Amino acid sequence: MSSINLTLKIWRQHNSDALGNLETYDLDNVHTDMSFLEMLDILNEKLTKEGKEPVAFDHDCREGICGMCGAVIDGVAHGPEKEVTLCQLHMRNFSKGDTIVIEPFRSRAFPVKKDLLVDRSALDRIIQSGGYVSVNTGGTPDGNSLPIPSSNAELAMDAAACIGCGACVASCPNGAAMLFTSAKISQLALLPQGHAERQQRALSMVAQMDEEGFGNCTNAKECEAVCPKGISIRNIARLNKEYLFAALTEG
Amino acid sequence: MWFVRFLSSSIGKKLIMATTGLLLLLFLCTHVAGNATIYMSSEVFQGYADELHSHPLIVIVFSTIFLLIFLAHIGMGLFLFYQNWQVSKSRYSVTTRVVKNTFSSETMPYTGLIILTFLIVHIFSFTFSSSEVPISVTVKELLSGFFYGLFYIVSFIALAFHLNHGFWSMLQTFGLNHPRYNDAISKLTLILPLFFLILFAGIPLYFMTGLGASY
Ligand code: HEM
Ligand code: SF4
Ligand code: FES
Repeated sequence: MSSINLTLKIWRQHNSDALGNLETYDLDNVHTDMSFLEMLDILNEKLTKEGKEPVAFDHDCREGICGMCGAVIDGVAHGPEKEVTLCQLHMRNFSKGDTIVIEPFRSRAFPVKKDLLVDRSALDRIIQSGGYVSVNTGGTPDGNSLPIPSSNAELAMDAAACIGCGACVASCPNGAAMLFTSAKISQLALLPQGHAERQQRALSMVAQMDEEGFGNCTNAKECEAVCPKGISIRNIARLNKEYLFAALTEG
Repeated sequence: MWFVRFLSSSIGKKLIMATTGLLLLLFLCTHVAGNATIYMSSEVFQGYADELHSHPLIVIVFSTIFLLIFLAHIGMGLFLFYQNWQVSKSRYSVTTRVVKNTFSSETMPYTGLIILTFLIVHIFSFTFSSSEVPISVTVKELLSGFFYGLFYIVSFIALAFHLNHGFWSMLQTFGLNHPRYNDAISKLTLILPLFFLILFAGIPLYFMTGLGASY
């Protein structure tokens, strides 16, 4: 186990209305086996001892499954390692003497609450507008009573891996929420249970997405590159098709 | 109305870009086919131009449709550019693009505007040129000029970059993204722009280098 010393430039903002700015902190003896959030814990302990306000950041499971954590590290959402969340990013990805710039996930639809903590409830409202199956289908069906091609099951499962972290929005040059919305639409559109409300779902979720103030997709692919769950932009192509079909038949 | 709602949604606007982009691509195909006759001889090219203009109605109807498609594409493109600029201006103090080779996608509005400038110059030079001089003569005269020829070549390079991202983006917008076709599509994102670049930019080069001396 080795230790490194770092210079951290962290976005500090008192509340949604305050103007924020980047503050610089020196942190020594950071173990390379620590996760990024553990590193921030150490910083916060130090700040608390010095009588300063600790850095506010979101987190919950710390094992890469809940989607609560996230920040933009040197311009990349969730930092330099591929397909990991911030809590699973380890300090071995950094070297002695590095300066790391840490900023909150930004989008017009994600107001900063405090420091690195942002309000991502816009994503919840997209789900609430139609990302569910409202038909009660009874108890768990018997195995194989509802035949589903295994390729569809796999694709639906891949889409369902989205943890709603918002990194796709944060990294998109246009602040679009297409990767998130497309994953939430695909996981249902690919399965028979999702078919009953398929068109209405596409229409409502896209309308909600636009209303929240997310940008327009320009197919820049940044979302796919930073997504901790490897959600593919093939889902965005599927969303475009779903929406076109829905608008032409039930719009 | 559902139609207005559809077209004003974010995905609807993308679909307008993709549909008009596709129609513009088809236009380019017919235009490049006609212009390629220049490589044969001035008689063949003049014959093609005379034949085309002996049916003025076809020319007028086609030009009007093309103009409307173009205005829709440009208007919507600039509107999307403006909307996205509003969302994204001054977001991070450090911005890193993870995706490599983003030149074509980041420059879509700029390559588009170069094409627009080109189009205005092009139409004023040829469509509204003096009807006294045969078009085959005007073509050779203008395109043999160094700066005029260079301007054409630069514009076609811009078109190639525009199509390099545009062709793939259009198919993605239409929902065509499937492992079975993605290899072919990624090859076409190079082949298609190069095809237009060689045939179109070849014409000024043909005259500038003197290859077309006997044209
Ligand atoms: C013959 C000329 C042109 C052709 C063949 C063409 C073709 C295309 C195609 C196929 C796309 C992709 C559509 C999509 O993303 O779904 C596109 C996008 C775009 N075009 Fe053009 N275009 C032309 C001229 C122009 C001009 C004059 C402008 C002027 C500003 C322009 C601006 C744009 C912009 C900004 C986009 C990106 C839109 C987005 O990503 O949301 N284009 N074009
Ligand atoms: S698509 Fe990926 S980046 Fe976007 S919210 Fe879901 S898990 Fe996060
Ligand atoms: S804290 Fe749960 S995914 Fe990072």
